[in-house]
Amino acid sequence: MTDHLRCEGITVKFGGVVACDNISLNVETGKIVGLIGPNGAGKTTLFNVLTRFQPYVAGSVFHNGNNVDELRPHDMVHRGLARTFQNINLFREQTTLRNIMTGGHSLIGNPIKAMCWTPDARKREREIEERAIEIAEILNLSGELENEVGNLPYGYQKRVELGRALASKPSLLLLDEPVAGCNDDETAELQEIIHTVNKKMGVSVLLVEHDMKMVMKVCDYLFVINFGSNLAEGTPEDIRQNPEVIKAYLGEEEHT
Amino acid sequence: MSINNNQNTDIQANQNEETRARISTVKNLKRRFVRNDVLAMVLLFGLMLIAPLFPSVKGWMLSQASLVIIYIIAALGVMVLVGFTGLVSVGHGGFLAIGAYTSALLTLHLGVDLVVGIIAALLMSGLIGAGLALIFLRLSGAFMAIGTLGFAFFVGTILNNIPFFQGRDGILLDANFVLGFEIYDHGFYLVSVVCLILVTLFVYMLVNSGTGRAFMALRDAEKAAMASGVNRLKFRTLAFSISAAITGIAGALNAHVVNYVSAEVFADIWYSVDILMAVVVGGSVAILGPFVGGFFVVMMPFYFEQLADFSFIMKGVVLILVLRFAPAGVAELILRPLKNARRTILRNVGGSMVETKEPKDD
Repeated sequence: MTDHLRCEGITVKFGGVVACDNISLNVETGKIVGLIGPNGAGKTTLFNVLTRFQPYVAGSVFHNGNNVDELRPHDMVHRGLARTFQNINLFREQTTLRNIMTGGHSLIGNPIKAMCWTPDARKREREIEERAIEIAEILNLSGELENEVGNLPYGYQKRVELGRALASKPSLLLLDEPVAGCNDDETAELQEIIHTVNKKMGVSVLLVEHDMKMVMKVCDYLFVINFGSNLAEGTPEDIRQNPEVIKAYLGEEEHT
Repeated sequence: MSINNNQNTDIQANQNEETRARISTVKNLKRRFVRNDVLAMVLLFGLMLIAPLFPSVKGWMLSQASLVIIYIIAALGVMVLVGFTGLVSVGHGGFLAIGAYTSALLTLHLGVDLVVGIIAALLMSGLIGAGLALIFLRLSGAFMAIGTLGFAFFVGTILNNIPFFQGRDGILLDANFVLGFEIYDHGFYLVSVVCLILVTLFVYMLVNSGTGRAFMALRDAEKAAMASGVNRLKFRTLAFSISAAITGIAGALNAHVVNYVSAEVFADIWYSVDILMAVVVGGSVAILGPFVGGFFVVMMPFYFEQLADFSFIMKGVVLILVLRFAPAGVAELILRPLKNARRTILRNVGGSMVETKEPKDD
C-alpha cells in the first residue's frame, strides 16, 4: 500500500508554546485514518499543517511522495486534498447549491475563459452544477438546495461543508471533528456518509474526532497524539488495549 | 423479508424520482426568473437606445444623459470590487483619469478611432490596476482604502506636474470618429449606451460564472474560499484589474463627451468619492444598484442648484439617510420584495424541510 499523505517530524511553535513536537503520521491510500488525542494535544494544528494553513518550523509534508512544504492551501485543493473546519466555515448568505458549487472551484478551468462564458467554460459550469446536485442527493440535502446556509440547522450545515469539500473531486478528505455537536441520529447519518464516500467514491479520509464510539467504528487505523507528540498508533483494537492511551485519554471513560 | 426489501427499494426509487422532478422544476423556475431579469434589462436598454428619437431630447439633456451613463459604467466597475469581492477603493478616480488621458492622447497625437481609444483605455487601466493590486492587496481593510486614495492623489500630481499632460490648461480634443464616422451629441450618447450595454452584459456574465463565484467566496468567508481552492491573491488581483479596466472605459468616454481633459477635473479627489458614493447609494450587490447610483450622483446637484455650494452638504445628508434606512442601497430596497418572493417560491418548490426565519433587515 502506498502512502497518500505523510508527514515527518512536524514541529509548530506559537511563540514559546510548542504545539506540535516532532509528529509523524501517514494516511494509506483508500483507508479511513483517525487522529485522536486529548484536548490541546495539537490535533487541529497538525491538521492545519497538513492542509498548509499553518506554517511549521521543522519537518516535511509529502503528498503522493511529493514534498508539498512550499504549497499554499488552495494548491492542496487542486492536488485533490479537501478539508472541513472544526467551526463550520461556509458562505452563510449563499444558498446550499452555491456553497457546494464553490467547492468545485478547482474545476472551473481558466478564470478568464470562465467569465467570458466560452462554450468550454459553460460546459464545465454545467458539470459543476450537476455534480453539486448529485452530492446534495448523497448528503440528503436535495430539499435545501435553494435555502441560505445561514438558515439551516447545525447538522445540515455540517453536511453542506462536507458537500463543499466533496465538490472538488478530492482523493483525500480531511475532516476536522465531523460529528462534533451533532446528536445521535446526525452522527449515525454522517458516519454512514463517510463510509459511502470512502467505499463507493474511493476517497481516503483522515479525521480528527472526539466521539470515541464513532472513531472506533469508522476508522481502519488510528494515530494518538498527546502534548504535541506521537503517543501510539495502530488499529482501533490495538489502541483500545494500549495502556498508555488508556492512561492519557480513554482512562476517564473506563471508570464510567 | 425479500418482499419487504423490494418495497423499500421501490419507496426509495419513488423518492429519488420525486426529488429529481423537484430539482428540474426548480431549475425551470430559476431559468424563468433569469429570463424576466433579462427582459427587464432589454426593455431598459431599448428605451435608452430610442430616447434620442424624441425631439425634446437634445443639447444639455443629451450630454447630461451621456454623463449619467458614464457614471453608471464607472460605478459598475467599482461594484465588481466593492460589491462582489468585498474590497474598498476610494481611488478609482485615478483609473478614470488614466482611461481619459490614454484615449485623449491617442486620439490627439495618433488620430485613432474612438473605438481604439476606448479599448486602449481599458487595457491601460486594467494593466495598471493589476500592477497596483499587487501592492494594495498586501494591505487590509482601511489601509487598503487609504492606499488607493494615495494612488488617486499620485495620478493627480503626475497630471499636474509633467508638461506632457499639460496640467491645468488641459488638452482640447478635435473631432471624434467612430468607425470612420464623425460623431456629435447624439452619436456620443449612442456610443455611451452601447458601451454600457456591453459592460453590463460582461458584469452579468462575470457574476454568473465560476470566477464571480470565487470573488464572492473571498468576500463572504476567506478561509472557506481558500479551502475550496480559491487562490486569494490571483482572484483579488483579477477583480481589481477588471474593476480598473471598466472604470477606464468610463474615463475614455468622459474625455470625449466633454472633448477636453485637464488636471483640474481629473486630479480632483471628488471624482473618486462620487463613484464610490454612486455604489453606496445605489447598492453594490444587484446590477441595478449602479444605475440608480449613477443617476443620483450626476443629477443630484441640479436638483439642489439654488443651494450652490451647499449641494455638497445635501449629498452628505442623502448618504447618511441611505446608510440609515437602506444600508444595502436604494436598489436593494426596491428589489428586496421581489427577491424575497422568489426565494420563498424556490424554497417551497425545492421541498425545504427547514423552518426559516425571514432575513434580517440589514
